[in-house]
Amino acid sequence: MSNTDGHSGTSNPGTSAAWIVRIRHDLMQIWPVLASLILIYGFFFTMSPPFRSIDTLLSIFGQASILAILACGTTIVLISGGLDLSVGSIFAVVGVSVGIFMAEWGLPPFAAVCLGLAIGAALGALNGTIQVLTKVPAFIVTLGGLTAYKGLAEILASGRDLSRFPDAFKFFGTGNAIPMVIMFAAALLTGLFLTKTRLGNRAFAIGGNEEVARLSGVPIAKSRIYYYMLGGLLAGLAAMVEVAKLNFAMPARGQSYELYAIAAVVIGGTSLFGGRGGVGKTLLGMFIMQTIIVGLSYLGVGTSYQRIAIGAIIIAAVYWDVWRRTAR
Amino acid sequence: MSLGNTAAAKRPVLEAQGISKHYGGIVALDKVDLTLNEGEVLAIVGDNGAGKSTLIKALTGAIAKTTGVIRFDGAETQIDTPGDAKTAGIETVYQDLALVNEISITKNVFLGREIVRDDWLGRWLGVLDFKKMDAEIRDLFDKLDIRIADIYRDAEAFSGGQRQAVALSKTVMFGKRVAILDEPTAALGVRESKMAMDLVRSLKDHGLSVIMITHNMQHVLNYCDRVMVLRLGRLVAVRDVADVDGDTLVGLITGAKEAGAQA
Repeated sequence: MSNTDGHSGTSNPGTSAAWIVRIRHDLMQIWPVLASLILIYGFFFTMSPPFRSIDTLLSIFGQASILAILACGTTIVLISGGLDLSVGSIFAVVGVSVGIFMAEWGLPPFAAVCLGLAIGAALGALNGTIQVLTKVPAFIVTLGGLTAYKGLAEILASGRDLSRFPDAFKFFGTGNAIPMVIMFAAALLTGLFLTKTRLGNRAFAIGGNEEVARLSGVPIAKSRIYYYMLGGLLAGLAAMVEVAKLNFAMPARGQSYELYAIAAVVIGGTSLFGGRGGVGKTLLGMFIMQTIIVGLSYLGVGTSYQRIAIGAIIIAAVYWDVWRRTAR
Repeated sequence: MSLGNTAAAKRPVLEAQGISKHYGGIVALDKVDLTLNEGEVLAIVGDNGAGKSTLIKALTGAIAKTTGVIRFDGAETQIDTPGDAKTAGIETVYQDLALVNEISITKNVFLGREIVRDDWLGRWLGVLDFKKMDAEIRDLFDKLDIRIADIYRDAEAFSGGQRQAVALSKTVMFGKRVAILDEPTAALGVRESKMAMDLVRSLKDHGLSVIMITHNMQHVLNYCDRVMVLRLGRLVAVRDVADVDGDTLVGLITGAKEAGAQA
């Protein structure tokens, strides 16, 4: 805010078309993230010869894809000023459920997938509804969801062998390519939702200043429930891609995915405090995280050290977000 | 200055009777009556804690009033949410709560009343018609002589005066009858204040009747037709601006002068 000269009536110099403003605006916001990704990739590229192959690059995208689908939902929820810690457990419930639908009930894959999406959406909507009705903070409600849904997944799965699914279903987990296609499709739809639709645009307003949005006549409670619902739906989609890829379902899957998703979203530059962000940033954030994980493995750094690295990066990313907000 | 007071005026648009607001045992607002006539600018003045903001929040459904009746064009109207007030044709600009910093000018002006595309995408998926919204805003800004070109930029990029102009423009875009303004010049410099007040005055020309909270006695005297004074949650005086001066007003606000109400 440097405009203190009082020339409030004068027009801003250089009246530009909407798309130029938007692209300039987006570039200003993402260049540090893009630069980090290139630097990090470049670092491992120089340090480790085996890292240089195209296969490695594809496997980074491939491994990122399932988490990235889930993170699309996290992006919506965080932009709206919410938080959902339960999506990793929703992931587990949906994974186990579609397993039961196909392995035990013999439902056709199409029906199982539709039901799986519906269950994900319903569990997400339940989180949102409880928050709106009880006014208990999102952190607590979804922390409750994290353990409760996990328990539900364990109950559903106990004593069952959930594996060997129909080929038509396994197709969705084929190689790196199909999950990547699903990831880009999910990201594209999420992006269109956030930028083109009324409900999506309102997420930025609610996350930016809920009281202004309320006074402007935006139905806050209803909108929030939709955002959590979409978060659950995308977690369900991610779960099904993973089940298809692994060809088995078990309740332990999805553990900590919510944290990795939040990390990727924040690393990408979406604000943890709501009002700002986008799904393209989330993809960049996810690629950064996966590049680090894959790169460190190539350098022989163990998983435990990788976790420490990711933890440090999350804190740095949030620090950057806080700094941007205050030092404007 | 009180031209709007003569001839055609004197027909009440908005009437409120016995508006009270209690917070537990605390009475923030005690049976306040208010009448807003067609085409006038009504000032609400009073010290901090007098109940000015509480009164307009109760009028606009931003808070639930404890008691009171609101009539719009003579008919009793239920106003329990900000949405009800908007439906009735009342548009409010709240102090510090006018714009969302993180979204563009266009999105701010249309927040809560976005225009969707006139096809299945709009009807079924709520896909927005940004072209139409941008065009309407350019028309509006032309009409009100607001010179903001980059309506795609986030609101936080603009000065206090520009932001206030945008907030006021919403009342013309959507306020069919009444604009309620909570200290429209609170955060503004002298030059920007004058611009904002000129804009307030022009609201009349667009068919709006205006209620305005202010601390600035000069603005009351120069821009308003009538003034109501609140003290400690009670209405202590209503006067034609033509009949008062700054000292009298300050006396009424502080309680140095007592007055039988009603002008």
